[in-house]
Amino acid sequence: MIGAVRFLRSRPYAFALVLFVLLLIANIIAQPSFAGPSNWPETLAIFAPFAIAALASTPAIMSGGGGIDISIGPLMTVVDMIIVAVLLPHGLGAPWVVVPICLVLGAAVGAVNGTLVTVLRFQPVVATLCMNFILTGLATQIEGGSTPQGSTWWTDDLAGSFGPVPGGLISIAVVLAIWYGLSRTAYLRNLYATGGDDAAAFSAGVDVTRVRILAYTTGGLFAGIGGLALMAVLREGEASDATMYTLVALAAVALGGTAFTGKRGSLIGTLLGAACMYLITNVLSAARVPDTWTNAIYGGLLVIAVIFSAGLANATQARAT
Amino acid sequence: MTSLSLSSRQLAAQHRIADLQRRFPLLQVLALAVLYLAGALTVPGWTSTSTTSSMLVMAGLLGMAGIGQTIVVLGGGIDFSVGAFITAGAVFITELTSVDHWPMWAAIAFPLAVGVIGGTLNGVISYRFRIEPLIVTLGIGSLLTGVLTGWVSGAVSGTPPAWTDSAVSVVSRTFGLPVPPVVVIWLALAVIIGIVLARTQPGRSLYLNGTNPAAARLALVRTGWTWTAGFIVSAAAATFVGMLLAGNGGSNLTSGDPYLFQALTAVIVGGTMFGGRGDYWRTVLGALILTVVTYLLEAHNYSIGVQEMVYGLLIMIVVAAYGRERKIRDRV
Repeated sequence: MIGAVRFLRSRPYAFALVLFVLLLIANIIAQPSFAGPSNWPETLAIFAPFAIAALASTPAIMSGGGGIDISIGPLMTVVDMIIVAVLLPHGLGAPWVVVPICLVLGAAVGAVNGTLVTVLRFQPVVATLCMNFILTGLATQIEGGSTPQGSTWWTDDLAGSFGPVPGGLISIAVVLAIWYGLSRTAYLRNLYATGGDDAAAFSAGVDVTRVRILAYTTGGLFAGIGGLALMAVLREGEASDATMYTLVALAAVALGGTAFTGKRGSLIGTLLGAACMYLITNVLSAARVPDTWTNAIYGGLLVIAVIFSAGLANATQARAT
Repeated sequence: MTSLSLSSRQLAAQHRIADLQRRFPLLQVLALAVLYLAGALTVPGWTSTSTTSSMLVMAGLLGMAGIGQTIVVLGGGIDFSVGAFITAGAVFITELTSVDHWPMWAAIAFPLAVGVIGGTLNGVISYRFRIEPLIVTLGIGSLLTGVLTGWVSGAVSGTPPAWTDSAVSVVSRTFGLPVPPVVVIWLALAVIIGIVLARTQPGRSLYLNGTNPAAARLALVRTGWTWTAGFIVSAAAATFVGMLLAGNGGSNLTSGDPYLFQALTAVIVGGTMFGGRGDYWRTVLGALILTVVTYLLEAHNYSIGVQEMVYGLLIMIVVAAYGRERKIRDRV
C-alpha cells in the first residue's frame, strides 16, 4: 500500500495513465471502429480544443498561491470569434497572418492576468474573473445578433489532416513542444519552486513575480493555439460556449494529478486527464447513455478526482511528519 | 524640512481616509449616489415608481443571491455552485408542482433539503481533504446541474406556481405597501444577517475563521463546523432565490448561471474581501450599484457585451483600490 502510494506520489499522472489505458480498451470493445486509423483525424480534431484548454489551465495552477485562470475558456472563444468574424471576412485568412495574431493575443491576455495577480496583487480568482467578464463581453459584442461562420483551406486541414498527419495532433504537439522547450531552461524548476512555497522561493532568489507572469502568459499562449483548434473544428463563433470549457479543463487538470495548491503537476498528466474525460464521454455515447447526463458525469468525476488526488497528497504528508 | 512635514501630514490624512473606508463603505455610497444622479439627469422617467420598483426587484434578487457568497467569502472560501443551486431551486419548484403535482410545502422543502445536503458536501469535502473550495463547488455544482438535466431530459416543461410570480412582480404590493414582497424579504434578511454577523457568537467565529484559521482553532472556534455552515447557508439561500426567480421569467436549466458571477461581483464591488473583511450591508450596496449601472447602460442602449465588460472593469477598479494581497517580500 505504502509502495503504491509512493509510486503514485512520484508519478502523479500514474492514476490517469492506468485509467486512460482501461478506457481505451473499453472504447475499442464498445466500438471497434474507434481504433481504425481513418477515424483518427476527426477524433483528434474534436479532442484538441478540450485538451489544449486543459493544458492552458495547468501553468497558472502550478504557479501556486491559489493560482488559477478561469478566463481560458472565454479567451479561446474570443480567438475563435476574431478569426471567424473579423479576420476571415476581411480577407486575412493566410496562416502567416492568423497564427501570429492568435498567439500574440493569447499571450497578451495571459500577461495581463499575470500582471494583475503579481504586480497589482489581485487574488487570482478575482483577476481572472475580471478577464472572464471582459472577454465574454467582447465575444458577445463581436458575435452581434448572428452566429458568424467561416473557414479556410488550412483550418479545414487542421480539423482534418495535413497529408498523413492529423491536424488535431499537430496543435497538441505544438503546445507540448513549447512546454518541452521551456523545460530545458530554468523556468520549469523555478515554477515548481514558486508553486511549492513562494516565500521560500523568493528568499532563495527566484524572481517570483516574473515566474508567475510567465506562467499566466504561457497559459494564454496555449489558449491562443486552443482558439485556433476550436475555430478549425467549429467553423463558427459561439459566445455561449465559453463557460463549458472552464469546467472540463479544470476536471482534466485534477484528474491528471496536478494539485490545486501548486507543488505537484505536469502537462503530461493533464493531457492524460483530458484524454480520460474524452474517452469517458465517448464510451458512454457508444453505450447509448443520453447526452443529458454528460455534465453530471463530468462533475462527479471532478469531485472524485480531486478527493483522490488530495488523499494521495495527505497520505504522503502524514508519513513525512 | 517643510516638504517632510507636509508629506507626513499627507500620509496621516491618507491613513485616516483608508481607515474610514475600512469601517464604512464611503466610496460605494458615493459611487451609488453619483450613478443614481447620472441616471436621474440623463434618463427620462428614472425616478418614476415603476422604474424604482423594478430596480429594487433586480437588486433584491441579486442581493439575495449574494447572501451565501458573502458568508462563504468572509469565512475565507468561495462558492462556485451558487448558480447551480439557484437553477435547482427554480427547476424543482416548477417541475415538482406542475408536472409531479407535489403539495406546495413539499415542493418548497425538497429543494431546500437538496441545498442543505449539497452545501454540506461542499463544506465537508473541501475542509476534510483540504481541497480548494473553488474546485469542489464547481464539481458539486456541475454534478447537480447534470443530474437536473438528466432528470428533466434536457428541458423544463412545467410552469412555476403563481405565488412566485406575485412575489417578484413589479406591480405587486406587500400588506398594502407599494413595494414588491421580494424587496421586503430582502430587507428583512439583510437585517437578520447583519445582526447575526456582527453581534452573535457564530458570526464572530466566521470572521475569526476567515481572518486566521489557525488562530481561530486556538481560540476554540469549531473551524470545521463554521466553515461547513457557511456553505450550507450559501446553498440553501441560493435554492430559495431560485424559487423566487422561477416567477421572474420562468425557469430553465441555465436560470441560475448569470447569477454566479453577478452575485460574486456584487460582493466584491461592495467591498467584502476574502478572509474576514466586510459585511452583508456592503453586498447590499454592491447589488444596488450593479443594478443602477445595468439600468444606466441599458437606458443608453449599450449591448449585453458592453455591460459584461463594464462589470469586469468595475471589479478591477474596486479591487485595485483596496482589495489587494500582501507583497511577497512582506511574507518572508
